[in-house]
Amino acid sequence: MTVGRRRLLKVLTAIPVLGGLVAVLSPLFRFLKPNDGPWQIFTIKPDLPKGGAQVVGKTTALAKPWDFFYFTYVQKFVQYDPTGYKAANIAGVAVRLPKKVKFENASGFVGYKGETDIALFQRICPHLGCIFNFIPDFHEITAGYGGYVPPEFEKHALMGCPCHLSIYDPAFPNDPGNVISGPAPRGARYFEFEIRGEDIVVTGAELGGIA
Amino acid sequence: MLANLKEWLQDRKQHLDLFDETKTAKQDNPLYIIGSLVWLSWMVVIVSGVILMLWYIPTTTGAYRSIEHITYDIPFGWLVRGMHKYAADMLIICITLRIYRMYFAGEYKKPGELSWMILFASLVLGMISGITGYLLIWNQRAFWAAKTVLTVPTYYDEIPLLGNTGLGHAITYIFLGGPAVGQATITRFYAIHFGISVVFVILAEVFFYRTRRRRLNLSPFVIVLVLAFLGWLSFERLTDMGRWANPNRTPLPILSDWYFLALYQLVKYMPPLWAGIAPALLIGYGMLVPFLDRTKETRPLERPLFFTVGMLALVYFIAFTALIMLNIAVISRDPPIIMAVTAVVMVAAFMWELVHRRRKARQAQTPPARPAPPAPRATAAAS
Ligand code: FES
Repeated sequence: MTVGRRRLLKVLTAIPVLGGLVAVLSPLFRFLKPNDGPWQIFTIKPDLPKGGAQVVGKTTALAKPWDFFYFTYVQKFVQYDPTGYKAANIAGVAVRLPKKVKFENASGFVGYKGETDIALFQRICPHLGCIFNFIPDFHEITAGYGGYVPPEFEKHALMGCPCHLSIYDPAFPNDPGNVISGPAPRGARYFEFEIRGEDIVVTGAELGGIA
Repeated sequence: MLANLKEWLQDRKQHLDLFDETKTAKQDNPLYIIGSLVWLSWMVVIVSGVILMLWYIPTTTGAYRSIEHITYDIPFGWLVRGMHKYAADMLIICITLRIYRMYFAGEYKKPGELSWMILFASLVLGMISGITGYLLIWNQRAFWAAKTVLTVPTYYDEIPLLGNTGLGHAITYIFLGGPAVGQATITRFYAIHFGISVVFVILAEVFFYRTRRRRLNLSPFVIVLVLAFLGWLSFERLTDMGRWANPNRTPLPILSDWYFLALYQLVKYMPPLWAGIAPALLIGYGMLVPFLDRTKETRPLERPLFFTVGMLALVYFIAFTALIMLNIAVISRDPPIIMAVTAVVMVAAFMWELVHRRRKARQAQTPPARPAPPAPRATAAAS
């Protein structure tokens, strides 16, 4: 009889208390856990976002070079709440470039298989998450976005972020959307898209932005 | 080791002086009523905040309207809102001034270390409370301030050598309550905004109860004057509401609350990982400065290095604030200039410190030429 009665009773009461605590804390933990990154413990499938294919516009709206339009893509994340999903709206811009390009940025995410002159960028700034603007006239960049003067070959429509004045070139050779000025550490994120007839269909979005 | 720490804590706890409540003899010096003003403005913030809670609706659809409602429909709602806003500003100003006073007057030295650390932490918490409270209006400025601030921690996942730990994203998602700024973010910010004050008002009350000190070392005249000034401010220039937050449009130029402006400008100049680490380093420096500055000197000019660092911080704070208000940042030109200026000033400060120390040491060696008759115990040996 090494285990005293007191001890035994204590252990016995501790079990339901601990169990209750775990029961209370586990959903909280699930709720607080991030959706990406390596801390993917206690889940069967990683919490990757699902958006599904969404038609965001028509190619006819992009007839001439530098024609563009804004759109919103709804990305859904698995979440611990009654609906099971949490939606994040990703602002985007579609633009027709003057010549064909290949989509491959530093992180290897491909926006379009093959060559195309239609580009779809996420407007979430890769710096700190503001929504950047498509600016058809580069003079506006120099006037309102911290005095950046683009070199000769970049005197065309650019994209600029109002928050900390990062400037992106949508037609940058070999890397559309590359950052040409400002504190952003990388170029604009891509949407993955297909062209079905006249429809531009977004099928996925590069991860990482806080919408 | 542990016993030592306990003794250290015991001793410093005795000398806690969070609201200048022991400086009764110095009340004729305006620098020493700052502490009491901290307490006063804090109380105004709490009382007006509780009144605001009666009408405020913490939802993305209701927040903006409910504040409009408070400002324009509720009798004296404008006064309550103005008091809350301006007293909060005053709180931050007073804590900042007090921190500068303690810094330049060397009040953080033994036995004031703990007081300094608590005050410094309360400045950081006050700023957090400020930014969480700001989002509650749900206007454009607030929305984008919240978003950019909360994207900063995601860069902690890119610290070289450490690799992607996911910690940065975890911090961001915990505050956001999801992948985007939305309803969950408002709820959490509301809780944090409110919780910081609740927890700390309890701690402060325990402190006053234990030490039996006076809470407010101010004459009624000063109190009335301050309250009247806050009331007049809210009547004269109640902050305008800005526009309803629009997640699809970032305004240009974008500004935040005044005490974040300098940091905002800094973020334009730095790679984002550094922009996340730099404030942490600043906070670290603030918390550790009592242990870095080991001399017993309290006069600012007697410790050149720390004096210069303090001045540099002050100058940069003002300069960066001015620059962002003018929306000037030439990213390819400015950072090298700033780096160069900082380096030159720091080297100069270091030299000054060395020269100063050498002179001191020489003075200590040569005995005082003629001991002054009325004070036989010379003070020169103190250093
Ligand atoms: S968020 Fe776009 S430049 Fe900082």
